[in-house]
Amino acid sequence: MAAPALRRPNVSSANVQLPAVANYTQVTDEILDTLKPTKTWFALLLVAITFLLIGATAWTYQIYMGVGVAGYHPPVMWGVYIITFVFWVGIGHAGTLISAILYLFRAGFRTTIYRCAEAMTVFAVMTAGLFPILHLGRPWKFFWLIAYPNWRLVWPQFKSPLVWDVFAILTYLTVSATFLYVGLLPDLAVMRDREKNPVRKAIYGQLSLGWRNSDREWRHFARAYLFLAAFSTPLVLSVHSVVSFDFAMANTPGWHATIFPPYFVAGAIFSGIGMVFTIIIPVRRWFNLKHYVTINHLDAAAKLCLFTSTVVGLAYLTEFWVAWFSGNEFEQNYFWNRVFGQWWWAAWIMLTCNVILPLSLWSQKARRNTTWLFILSLFINLGMWFERFVIIVPSLSHEFEPWRWSGYAPTFIDWSILLGSFGWFSMWFLLFIKQLPVIAISEVKEIVPPALKRPHEHGIAVTGEHVAYEADTPGEHD
Amino acid sequence: MQGILGIYRQLDCAIDAIAALKKERAGEVTVYSPTPRHEIEHAIHAGPSVVRRYTLIGGLLGATFGYWIAIWVSRYWALVVGGKPVSSWVPYTIISFELMVLFGALSTVAGLFITARIPRISMTVGYDPRFSDGDFGVWVECPPEKQEAVRQLLARTGATEVRGEQ
Repeated sequence: MAAPALRRPNVSSANVQLPAVANYTQVTDEILDTLKPTKTWFALLLVAITFLLIGATAWTYQIYMGVGVAGYHPPVMWGVYIITFVFWVGIGHAGTLISAILYLFRAGFRTTIYRCAEAMTVFAVMTAGLFPILHLGRPWKFFWLIAYPNWRLVWPQFKSPLVWDVFAILTYLTVSATFLYVGLLPDLAVMRDREKNPVRKAIYGQLSLGWRNSDREWRHFARAYLFLAAFSTPLVLSVHSVVSFDFAMANTPGWHATIFPPYFVAGAIFSGIGMVFTIIIPVRRWFNLKHYVTINHLDAAAKLCLFTSTVVGLAYLTEFWVAWFSGNEFEQNYFWNRVFGQWWWAAWIMLTCNVILPLSLWSQKARRNTTWLFILSLFINLGMWFERFVIIVPSLSHEFEPWRWSGYAPTFIDWSILLGSFGWFSMWFLLFIKQLPVIAISEVKEIVPPALKRPHEHGIAVTGEHVAYEADTPGEHD
Repeated sequence: MQGILGIYRQLDCAIDAIAALKKERAGEVTVYSPTPRHEIEHAIHAGPSVVRRYTLIGGLLGATFGYWIAIWVSRYWALVVGGKPVSSWVPYTIISFELMVLFGALSTVAGLFITARIPRISMTVGYDPRFSDGDFGVWVECPPEKQEAVRQLLARTGATEVRGEQ
């Protein structure tokens, strides 16, 4: 049975998830091997930092000249910055879905991809959090939104969706970063124990908090991890719901809809899965991890992608239907303008990338073709950015009174800051993948068979599957 | 703290050793493994983790604080809009929820640190770097008069290395 599986190491079965991974030491060796920096990595890091510097320069110029240089003219006072804010918050959502929600559902395919997805979440939320600040005329006063005793005797307005956003995003960033760090503790201990350089060993020792892999530590760790996952699950649903309230609370055509929270959450997860593919497919190839992130894992994630795409497609159709059924002239006119009027090109990019192209995933051949998955993921990233464009710009440019109707054209500053956000995100991610393991070493060991002297005794399955050990029950494992 | 450390290649041998040590009441047993295994947890007969209590308390405190801060701020600087309540529980539920998650998650981590006794400044005795790689370890804390018996038991159950530490 083992020989054919080894010839095709990236194809797993229901019983053996990682057929080409024989033991715990192999897991440690191969995953830690990915940490050695390469010339390509340095080159990519340089590109990311260059993009970041372009964005930082544009922001500096904007602070000096004022937000007007970003192409905002009444009535379109929200544009690329808010679009990109929603885009990056959304990207983070799939990371939490994979690391927390799929953990609660015990979905096997998450094990090898969740670390990348979780890191992606933290860096995406870090990127998203910059955009409301970038959008401020006086960005250095952003902390006025935080509730704390102050000499101004002024407190935030807790009935405002923008204040809800602050609480939701900060909570999301804190909990996601905590979840990532707690999950990293055992892996940091592995790095500490393997490290020969005394300085690096000391750093890993500090970061691992003296983790020793004892039964006491594992017992409490498992429980704490479960609760963190249980908290992250409703959190991820709440965060994009709160982001959607930024729009849904306003009495603007196209925004004032009760469908917005589930529509935003589904879109966020969909876009995040797209970004997971964009990241994980090159990572598994360049780091020689194809036998960890198997084709079956990608196939399962592609099914999730297809499912969320259909939910998003249904939400688009529901919006159109509600506009027609409402009998509200402004709403109907707005939606007609969105798809067949002024903004038709943006709407059709959105519909093509998010609904039409993902239909290819009904084919198993497409789901197991990594080249297609990667190309599709780029289209999904593009389509989801345009979804937020379609939500924000057409509504503001086409409100109730025709004399207020207008257009919107992002400027060089907008595009530079958008590019800078990708540079910022990529820089953190590239630093992460060469400093810390991209695959959770201790969790992968859970699905790898342990070394056994008598494989068929004690109820320990040779596949590594956990079976309760009941020494006191006579005849249980005869 | 003194005792005997046994290093095992195979999981089932380590479990045999734990069962035998429990039967002999040789001393307090600590098991090291590269990954959590239910088999070890069952052999140790450990009780349920108390981390859940920290989670519950943190979550409740966060939810209460969320409502309290929003209501207090509304009353401190009242913005009276005709027919609308000064303190409105519906939007404040969002603040309360977010703070419940924040406080609950952070107190869960605090609970983990307290119950698992981390951060640990030094590795102390009874640890080997192989335990984070692929081997299993059984550390038995016992007085000198019991150490020889424990040594023999660990060797008998298949330990690849047995050593005393203090």
